[in-house]
Amino acid sequence: MTDSDLDAVYTQLCKTMTDIGEADASLFLARFALLAVTELGDPALARRLIGEAAAFKSASSPPIASGVPS
Amino acid sequence: MDHAFKPYPFTARRYEAALPTLRDGADSKRHAVAIVGGGPVGLAVALGLANHGIASVVIEADDSVCFGSRAICISRRSLEIMERLGALRAFLDKGLPWSGGRSFYRDAQVLHFSMPNDENQKLPPMVNLAQYHIEQFLLDAAERRSDLIDIRWQTRMTALDARDDGVTLGLSTPKGDYTLGADWLVAADGGRSAAREALGLQLQGTSYEGRYVIVDIAMDSARPTERLAYFDPPSNPGSTVLVHKQPDGVWRIDYQLRDGEDPDEAVKPENVIPRVRNLLENMGESPDWSPIWITVYKANALTLQKYRHGRVLFAGDAAHLVPIFGVRGANSGIDDADNLAWKLAFVVRGLASERLLDSYSDERVAAAHENLSHGTKSTEFMSPPSFAFELMRHAALGLAVQHPAVRSLINPRQTSAIAYTASPLNWAPERSAEFDAGPQPGAVLPECPVRILQSGQARNGHVTDLLGLWFTLLHFTDEGVLPEDLVALEREMTKDGVPFKVAVLSRREGSPATAPSGWDHTGRLFPLYGAAPGSTYLVRPDGHVMARWRTAARAEIVAAVRHALHA
Repeated sequence: MTDSDLDAVYTQLCKTMTDIGEADASLFLARFALLAVTELGDPALARRLIGEAAAFKSASSPPIASGVPS
Repeated sequence: MDHAFKPYPFTARRYEAALPTLRDGADSKRHAVAIVGGGPVGLAVALGLANHGIASVVIEADDSVCFGSRAICISRRSLEIMERLGALRAFLDKGLPWSGGRSFYRDAQVLHFSMPNDENQKLPPMVNLAQYHIEQFLLDAAERRSDLIDIRWQTRMTALDARDDGVTLGLSTPKGDYTLGADWLVAADGGRSAAREALGLQLQGTSYEGRYVIVDIAMDSARPTERLAYFDPPSNPGSTVLVHKQPDGVWRIDYQLRDGEDPDEAVKPENVIPRVRNLLENMGESPDWSPIWITVYKANALTLQKYRHGRVLFAGDAAHLVPIFGVRGANSGIDDADNLAWKLAFVVRGLASERLLDSYSDERVAAAHENLSHGTKSTEFMSPPSFAFELMRHAALGLAVQHPAVRSLINPRQTSAIAYTASPLNWAPERSAEFDAGPQPGAVLPECPVRILQSGQARNGHVTDLLGLWFTLLHFTDEGVLPEDLVALEREMTKDGVPFKVAVLSRREGSPATAPSGWDHTGRLFPLYGAAPGSTYLVRPDGHVMARWRTAARAEIVAAVRHALHA
């Protein structure tokens, strides 16, 4: 995956989640995580990534500033 | 410390309005080219035209170069153009060169980026200087060409009548009003372009709601020149802050407004100064600083669909507004000017059909779309337009501390030279495809040192030094011997009035007599261009490749040039 591939996927995630709306965003991300896990096909890797994604407790609250929702 | 305001360390010269000789309320002289807007783009067009011997009149509403903090980063590509315009020395003398930057998330550094900068380069990837410097250096160069550039200060365009054969402008000055006729109008009159309004044209695209405060301060600091970005810094929790060093002890600070914050309140010094103070304390800077200027900025990603409307040609902010992030505003305008100047000059001189100007629109509209797509992505990161962009950015920044794989998402996507891959001027793509390296038609020449021999003088230079105000044929050879039929081709073209010159590149130190030459003394040039003896590149006056051949046939070169001029 190139930098610009990552960029494009990132933007699509953001836009899709914007359309889905804030109320359903967690459910959307959970579905995406499950699909990604099944595609990974590697339980050990999936467990490691769960651990790494959880290692950010101190940074859990979103920043205060943002643009106005589009 | 009360932080009283200081003035900029720069005093602009003031210019009086002046009336030309009038006949029945009209400028008695009809002009080949009028340029409305005396900012960086308008002056760059005037200088580009002057290089080709074309006179222009520049209509400028103000009485001096600009005030305040606007464009501050000038790209390598823009510096190349400044060299063509005779202004490079001043840019390099005053500008602060830099090649990278760092981004922080809270206390942690999450990105250290570098812009492309190898030993082949002649110019730094970026220099910082204030827009008043940019305009002043272009104005100084324009005043050296006062034989061809006539600047009308304190003159406002109040009416525009555009016809098939030219334009008539209504002009207003403190000394009286008059009309002015011209064959061509270049509209470089900025984001609120009166020319655009007069033709009933509208910019299309996206305006973003998120706002940034821009603050210039005076501060002595030995900190190096680089782009600093702070996301959610301890000094300004929840905000995003950018810091750039400018010449003469001026520092530019941009910070994001909080959600729902009133911009009119936010720019008041009592609200700005504490935030800047916190930031500087956090950076470990001395408390001895003074504010100079404060304004508020809102990102736009907008463009006209076409930049040529009959005899009116739009350039710079009048044609497109690109977001501040990635420094594509002034730089893309300067690129517009460089693309337009030679084409308009060739049309005015009768060397090319008007269709050449349609290629200006095609190429620069495509460039604007590329700039907008990068600028939009940067803006979506720097000023998230929805909760989802906000959430994802928060995740990306947090992960970036430990996970290098996501760091590219934070990269500010600084401006770089754009290739006109779909240009109507590109020729013989199937012949270009025979190369396995080097710039394709539409791309700019990659820089490389060469030992230049010209008019009996040898010096160390770079391959782009061999270009000029004409189509340049770069012919790669073993020993610098130019084939007789290319010598004859140059003679023929010149006889037909086509600006065309041959330059020869050699793998070994040769002794050519018939053309300027570059010896590839580092051995890096030939591989960089995918070249072998016999390879030939046809290059436009703005440094973009038009065609290339592994082995060039004279008839094909003639066809490529004819296509560009008369298609």
